[in-house]
Amino acid sequence: MRRVRRYVNDLLRHRRPHPFEADAADAAELRAAIALRAAGPDNAPSEEFVEALHHRLRTELDDAPPQSSRISSRRRFVASVAAASAASVALGAGLNRALTGDDGNTAGPPPADETVVPDRGERQAVVAAKDLPEGGVRPFDLGTIVGFVHRTDGQVHAVSGVCTHLYCKLALDAPARQLKCPCHSAAFALDGAVLHHRLPIALRALPKLIVRESGGVVQVFAPPRPA
Amino acid sequence: MWPTPVRLRVVADDAYPDWEAVYRDNVDRMYRVMFAKVGNRPDAEDLTAEVFVTALRPLRLSASVGEVRAYLLATARTVLASYWRRTLGREITTLYEDRALAEPAELPVTSSANARAEAILAELPDRYRQVLQLRFIEACSLKEVAAELGVTVGNVKVLQHRALSQAATVADRTEA
Repeated sequence: MRRVRRYVNDLLRHRRPHPFEADAADAAELRAAIALRAAGPDNAPSEEFVEALHHRLRTELDDAPPQSSRISSRRRFVASVAAASAASVALGAGLNRALTGDDGNTAGPPPADETVVPDRGERQAVVAAKDLPEGGVRPFDLGTIVGFVHRTDGQVHAVSGVCTHLYCKLALDAPARQLKCPCHSAAFALDGAVLHHRLPIALRALPKLIVRESGGVVQVFAPPRPA
Repeated sequence: MWPTPVRLRVVADDAYPDWEAVYRDNVDRMYRVMFAKVGNRPDAEDLTAEVFVTALRPLRLSASVGEVRAYLLATARTVLASYWRRTLGREITTLYEDRALAEPAELPVTSSANARAEAILAELPDRYRQVLQLRFIEACSLKEVAAELGVTVGNVKVLQHRALSQAATVADRTEA
């Protein structure tokens, strides 16, 4: 309760509140404090802030994609932004161009074929070869990687089972032979290609995984499970 | 980079001419939404910045204004959730119920925040309502409130504490 009081005092003094591990009762009180505070002063952005952020965005968006050294020197939250938008940063210049006006439905990066090659991986069985007939699809979860294996023209293939937008786990729509994201309805083909989505961004294809058939089992090259 | 055609104004279902237009059209609302969810300026500013830095980079301007706003809102949702996990270990407020950003209506955020605060205050006994009104909404100091209510600063602290915990009960009840 003492820490809730400190948090509330910070709110009342227009200060950034101190983090702490809140329980359910704390949460209810903080929600009420925030709801009341939301009707108080400070509820409109200052002109100074709006201009400063505008300037910062101009620097970041019109320049080359950010480098890691620049990120590390910034304030703490920027690191989490970088992590959250790692996918987009990786797309780099193509997206910058899209953003600065050279756009159109044809722009956006060509989805480069990416393959997941773990630094320390091992071949791990995901399904018996006989359980993956021609045209078959199987989901798998190795603890470190989730994905889908399928067999086409006798060959086995595997892709990541995580949406490239905000990393929700994809579900197999077997009749449609698609991998669908439960979060924002993006759909991928079994080979990882983007089929459709309604997001105003360029979505990357699903990364491929290294897979082979050996001794009657289908194996995916993945990091070992953490102990 | 070559010049983009200049549009005089942005209308619904049209697209934004450039990222600056996206920013200018949405920054005020985004800040208000964040302030209503965190209740303090420094964090509201950081979270607003985080949303634009995250969302603008991969944004395709061929999207309509409505789509862009929906995308900003989805980004804001994620940013707010991770802020709470990082600071208090649980989500204190969420953006799920908010349509504020996606709607074309002008600045409904602040008025709905006011309405919510009023609804909570309306259910409290007079004394509790007064102390919260003065402290939270009118930003009075403990001393000022003590003078206003004719009690000691110590009394105000106790009153504020009890009033807030009752407001929490009211807020939780009226949430659903």
